[in-house]
Amino acid sequence: MKLSQTLQAMAVGASLLVGTMAPVRAAEDTVKVGVLHSLSGTMAISETSLRDVLLFAFDEINAKGGVLGKKIEPVVVDGASNWPLFAEKAKQLLEVDKVSVVFGCWTSVSRKSVLPVFEKNNGLLFYPVQYEGEELSKNIFYTAEAVNQQAIPAVDYLLADGRKKFYLIGTDYVYPQTTNLVLLEYLLSKGVPIENIGGGLRKDEAGKVISAGKYTPFGHTDYQQIVAEIKQFAATGDACVINTINGDSNVPFFKEFAASGLTAADCPVVSMSLSEDELRSLPTKDLVGHLGCWAYFMSIDSKENAAFKKNFFDWLKTAKVQGIERTNRVTCSPMVLSYDGVYLWKAAVEKAGSFDVDKVREVLESGKITFDGPNGLNTVEKNHHTKKNTYIGETKADGQFKIVEEFKQVYPEPFLKGTFVKE
Amino acid sequence: MTFASLVHADESETAARQSAARAILAPESEQATIVQDMAANPSPVLGPIFEAWQRSQVYIYEAPDGARIPFLLMPADGSAAKAMRIDNGEPLVGPDGAPITVDETVMKPVETFAKLRRAMRSTMDLLALADPAPATRQSAILKLGMKQSPEALPILNARLAKEQDKAVKNGILDSIALINLASPDPQLQIDALNQLKKSNSIPSRELVAKMAADESLSPKVRAAAVSTLKAIDNHLFWVDFFGTMFRGVSLGSVLLVVALGLAITFGLMGVINMAHGEIMVVGGYATYLVQCIFGSGVALAPFGISVNLPGFGFDPNSGIYQSYFLFALPVAFLSAAAVGVLLERGVIQFLYRRPLESLLATWGVSLVMQQLFRLIFGPANAPVYSPAWLLGSFSVGDVIMNYNRVFVIIFAVAIVVGTSLLLAKTPVGLLIRAVMQDRTTAACMGVRTRKVNTLTFAFGSGLAGLAGAFLSQIGNIGPSTGQTYIVDSFMVVVVGGIGNLIGTVISALGIGTVDQILQTSLRNPVIGKVLVLVGIILFLQWKPSGLFATKGRGLEN
Repeated sequence: MKLSQTLQAMAVGASLLVGTMAPVRAAEDTVKVGVLHSLSGTMAISETSLRDVLLFAFDEINAKGGVLGKKIEPVVVDGASNWPLFAEKAKQLLEVDKVSVVFGCWTSVSRKSVLPVFEKNNGLLFYPVQYEGEELSKNIFYTAEAVNQQAIPAVDYLLADGRKKFYLIGTDYVYPQTTNLVLLEYLLSKGVPIENIGGGLRKDEAGKVISAGKYTPFGHTDYQQIVAEIKQFAATGDACVINTINGDSNVPFFKEFAASGLTAADCPVVSMSLSEDELRSLPTKDLVGHLGCWAYFMSIDSKENAAFKKNFFDWLKTAKVQGIERTNRVTCSPMVLSYDGVYLWKAAVEKAGSFDVDKVREVLESGKITFDGPNGLNTVEKNHHTKKNTYIGETKADGQFKIVEEFKQVYPEPFLKGTFVKE
Repeated sequence: MTFASLVHADESETAARQSAARAILAPESEQATIVQDMAANPSPVLGPIFEAWQRSQVYIYEAPDGARIPFLLMPADGSAAKAMRIDNGEPLVGPDGAPITVDETVMKPVETFAKLRRAMRSTMDLLALADPAPATRQSAILKLGMKQSPEALPILNARLAKEQDKAVKNGILDSIALINLASPDPQLQIDALNQLKKSNSIPSRELVAKMAADESLSPKVRAAAVSTLKAIDNHLFWVDFFGTMFRGVSLGSVLLVVALGLAITFGLMGVINMAHGEIMVVGGYATYLVQCIFGSGVALAPFGISVNLPGFGFDPNSGIYQSYFLFALPVAFLSAAAVGVLLERGVIQFLYRRPLESLLATWGVSLVMQQLFRLIFGPANAPVYSPAWLLGSFSVGDVIMNYNRVFVIIFAVAIVVGTSLLLAKTPVGLLIRAVMQDRTTAACMGVRTRKVNTLTFAFGSGLAGLAGAFLSQIGNIGPSTGQTYIVDSFMVVVVGGIGNLIGTVISALGIGTVDQILQTSLRNPVIGKVLVLVGIILFLQWKPSGLFATKGRGLEN
């Protein structure tokens, strides 16, 4: 009894100490900002790069005097690719660390898991990775590509390219399933007959399509049957593949695809989840000529992008972050959209003159907050998503993209299901 | 298309070259129109020019006299790329007559964009009809047929008269038939349908199906369409059937290659080795290293110590680089076997009588090994390229067989035959079998059982290394790759029956084929996989010791 009482007292004392010290420091000269990414587990490969670019952005801002005269003090927590843990860490950031804003999440399931925490605590989250839409939380700002800023332009490009048949393939989880349902509606509205959509349809008892396309589990390795099906589907010479496979499984898929003799000229594959960062660990020779569609490519030829790349790579050389990868780095869309998020938040805070979430949100929703980033102009719209450019690129052997099409300043539409009218 | 043909230009070539040069110099808004018009004069010189343009290897040289001369960089064969003028095909020279050297890092190429590329395609498609590669010709011919425009008929007929290749000839006949399907003359339509029926043309299936359902057509045409559709569907059924069988055998061979090592270490020796997957990955990384050493070398940083492995720097297209995989196989076998020896001497030899503890201990080893891979090679997957001779496919009556899949079948047969010969016909094999069947008696007969144990375990591990080398050709090699395959390998060995190579072979092929059949008939890989696992659980309820149960020193004792 005595021991536990002592411990309790110590715990109370410690929490008081933390509780009283932190605000004093924050009030003086720093503002706390949360970084919530998986630094371990399966998603660490992708998400660690986002942490790096966020820390870079904070250092860049701090070197120029900070935000409202306060230096940014990052609080980095590890979601460990564990979705319930994301919610716990978000709670810790908002309730214990009392951060002004959080930048984070990659997978849609991690975002869905932290969403109630942000709404309950009235926090502020900037989400940077392409996603399926059909969501709008008053506490989240989506710098990411909405479906109409990635998948739809990609389909437009392929239609203009003379492609008439579309094979949908993805990993079996929320983002590919939702995106493909939206795409199915879109393709039908563009006059593509339903028999020209490959991969299979699943209907419920009422005959409503509940799933379109072919799905494989995470980590699937045997794509023989599927590629044989695609080869038959593409025998007419006017087919293409829309690929929402996530992660590792892309390697066996593309190896099988290339080995079966299909080329990008016969049947191009447009991949929604492969950016420059992922291409670092893929056999890029098998992907040459296939397409990517993002709001940013490392190969964008602009002053802003050149400066961003140079400063980021220079920063990496000397960054005081333990275990950071310093060489052979690339930049990619999720990284740049994270970076843009920091600057959009900074602009909103400065305009509001306060870190208060309600005031910052009001300014962000005004539609007047913009940032001219490495990817071009970003504008936060009233619907919490950003208007920005969309680019289509062809994969090159060196893992970079050659930009072949640019859609300027695409307005974000998170809610697309049921909005397409047949022309 | 050779570059010699670029130099000897006749009149239409000169005209084509000049319009190409004009298109390159034109403002972006006019380029596509000029290029589109060039399809009227599809001169073969345009092929390499458009290809170079799309590869971003077309530049503009600003001569000292103010002239702007478009040129392209010819593909370099070993030496530096040569600059060639587009307007006349001559080498690009400066005012002094010396060749101009081009620094690709400084000069900006004339870029293409989607609309322009599409415009180039009409010319390229026409050029592809006369391409030296039959496959390119065939796909260009099919594309033309699928457009169903009667203007293409004279082009196809002209091509038919010249064509030598039998398959391409049939392709032309099919394409002519495809165009005639849309003809207003019912007799032409019926002839076309008969041609497509004869050749069982899969690409035409959709058009034929539409005609079979079209009530505005005359009954005769519809009847012909219905019969053609039937023939094509029948053909498709057999293509799918044999295709599925082939893919089943090939997946079975992958499973067999992966499980064979385990059939030795677990099946014969009774060691539950949870690190089997990681030993496979050792073989995969060995393949990666051999590939790097044949190329430009690799820099690794294990434990913060930077290690630079120099490479031979072979040209990636050369035969010797392409044969790296053959050298990688023995390296993968030996390095995995060496790891096997360490594992057996270091951990397993103390646990022969305690199988459950060896399970825990080897699981720990597998975690340690995964972390070591991460420290040495980094968390990302190692990109392993397939040699050119493993890429591509051939088809037998429309059943497509990939070279790498044929290779894995041959590879599986070879290592199974090799392993069974080793076990059945050699003195070493005799010792292994003796020790595995009855260690005490073998020891009494003077067999050094400890040595034989180590040797057997090393051999099983070496086979796992070969599996890893092969897997690098069809999938990922990364720190956690082993985890993906460990379940599959145990599944194959347990279903086959512990201690029995034949059982392993039959179970691998059986699981592979059933998996592929379920995938095709259910059209859903997720449910297919679930059903295979459920099936295996039910099977093991019925026959707990697998297909072929043998009494040995396995788990049942």
